[in-house]
Amino acid sequence: MVAILSGVYLATARLLASESDQLITLEAQSLKADFHDHDPDTFISAIADRAEDPWVRGAVYELRGPRGDFLAGNVVILPDLVVQHDGWVEFQVALTHGDETAARQIRAQIFDLGDGFKLLVGHDIQDRQAFRAVMLQSIGWAVGAALLFGLFAGWWLGRRIARAARGISNNAAHITEGTLSERLPLTGSGDEIDGLVSRFNELLTRIESLTSTMRTVLDSTAHDLRGHLNRIRGAAQAAQHIASEPAMRAACDTVLLEIDRLGTTLQGLLRIALAQSGTAPLEEVDLSRLVAEIVEFYQPAAESHALTISIQPHLTVRGHRQLLTQALANLLDNAIKYAPTAPITVQLIGTDSKAIVTVADGGPGIPVEQRQLATQRFGRLPGSSGLPGSGLGLSLVAAVARLHHADLDMSDAMPGLKITLSIPLIATQAINAKR
Amino acid sequence: MKILLVEDDRRAGEYLAKGLTELGHSVEQAFDGESGLAAAATGAHDILILDRMLPQLDGLEVVRRLRTTGSTLPILILSALDEVDERIQGLRAGGDDYLVKPYHLAELVARLDALARRRADLGPVAKLTVFDLELDTRARKVTRAGRKIDLTTREFQLLEFLMRHTGQVVTRSMILEGVWDYHFDPKTNVIDVHISRLRQAIDKGHERQLLHTVRGAGYTLTEDP
Repeated sequence: MVAILSGVYLATARLLASESDQLITLEAQSLKADFHDHDPDTFISAIADRAEDPWVRGAVYELRGPRGDFLAGNVVILPDLVVQHDGWVEFQVALTHGDETAARQIRAQIFDLGDGFKLLVGHDIQDRQAFRAVMLQSIGWAVGAALLFGLFAGWWLGRRIARAARGISNNAAHITEGTLSERLPLTGSGDEIDGLVSRFNELLTRIESLTSTMRTVLDSTAHDLRGHLNRIRGAAQAAQHIASEPAMRAACDTVLLEIDRLGTTLQGLLRIALAQSGTAPLEEVDLSRLVAEIVEFYQPAAESHALTISIQPHLTVRGHRQLLTQALANLLDNAIKYAPTAPITVQLIGTDSKAIVTVADGGPGIPVEQRQLATQRFGRLPGSSGLPGSGLGLSLVAAVARLHHADLDMSDAMPGLKITLSIPLIATQAINAKR
Repeated sequence: MKILLVEDDRRAGEYLAKGLTELGHSVEQAFDGESGLAAAATGAHDILILDRMLPQLDGLEVVRRLRTTGSTLPILILSALDEVDERIQGLRAGGDDYLVKPYHLAELVARLDALARRRADLGPVAKLTVFDLELDTRARKVTRAGRKIDLTTREFQLLEFLMRHTGQVVTRSMILEGVWDYHFDPKTNVIDVHISRLRQAIDKGHERQLLHTVRGAGYTLTEDP
């Protein structure tokens, strides 16, 4: 736009300039012809008439003789100019028009009439320059206004898009944390943002149907496997009841024991799957209380350990009470099991946005390269085969962490293992804290 | 006890019915929700064992319908679904207890026993007494032979739970659910440690032991030796 306006300005300025130059040239040519057709005295008086004609406004003349002497005209700026120049000149001169005398900008042409006579024909271009200034100013204003408008429009548009994006992002976060059956609201404007929102909603519908399928598969698998186990258990128990030989009874005992182990493993797997499916319903949970209770529950079993507990009260998260409890129970179980007699530290602290649970033991710890393995299903570490456990403990913790959008971190407690679980605090808590 | 067993898994139902009959109970069986509901509505049973997923009428729906008729029949829901969230739904629908398959017969029997007896002494009792052990729920006070016993809140709750089930066998998972509302299997023997602490507090120095271990099942608090 600036380029267009500059173009307009230049074109107009040039047009104005060439028009007045053309007028001067035309007049000069006709005067030249007059000079040749008439004797010098007639020509001199004709120039004098023209110069004094009150109707001719803004025109200047100056005629000099062969010796540089002033013959006629309404300005006296020569001889220097007239003698030295041939062609276009611009200068400033005081012009009297009526009662007013003012300095005016003049553009003039000086040319030889022949026989040593020189004539200056000029025109007041002050108006032209004033026009140019006005035009320049108008263009300046136009550019300024356009620039301001552009800035404002950009800002407004940017804000609108940012607001829409923020809305989508907030709603999306709300949905992923809550129920998948919710949808983002459409503004109904049919613009690109609405298009984006409806694409997003289509995705949600797909995710919802996938997770519900997953849940159905999970439930029917659980139902099926548990049904089988239950029948086997019933049969084994019935067999045990009527078994007369000791060897047979012992075999029945083994079968029953293995079924129970299988049941425990199945339950562990199903709970991991439940946590990973994201279909487990979350509610407001007082994490401080939950941690305090599970620690208190394990305290008698940890008598041979020096137990250090520090829990910041009233930290609330959106969570699954039973799964969170079990995750913490697994951590405490591990600490008690893998680090017999070593000190155990349980800590819960709140930051701006997270509740941070730390369970640290003074046991052998887990080498860095094996930490990943520890959170995998059945990922039992070398040297742990003598200890009871299904290898699902930490993978349940990892799955529960994911369900809660929490970060699970393993580090060196020097000595021992330190597990940190950072769970997002409920947003209302931050609001309450500000009040 | 007259037990109504509604279970579509005929094999499993058969084993369970046999086990319960051998323990001296009379068992009537139904194999779908409709006939189960009709049988329960006759009011001829002391307790209902109901499978969670039944053909025709879902187990939860049977519970709901039965409860709307005003029936207070104790209901134990059996389920092959994970109990974490399902049990809440089962109890909300009006079930009294919830047991996940595969179950130990001893666990199921202990729970049936607890459910059947709960009907007998309904209502909040302020004072529980077992032999010379007394527990006052309102004053939060425990005495043995007139001497005050200091307990933590959780120990008090544990003792109250055991005293409310006096003479019955309570399993570890019943204790875990009833006292802590926990629904997982602690891999350590932590329940046993809690029990032995409580035993120290109430039985130490007394000739008659009240808190007994029942091998392969759980614990019982009783004045009978």
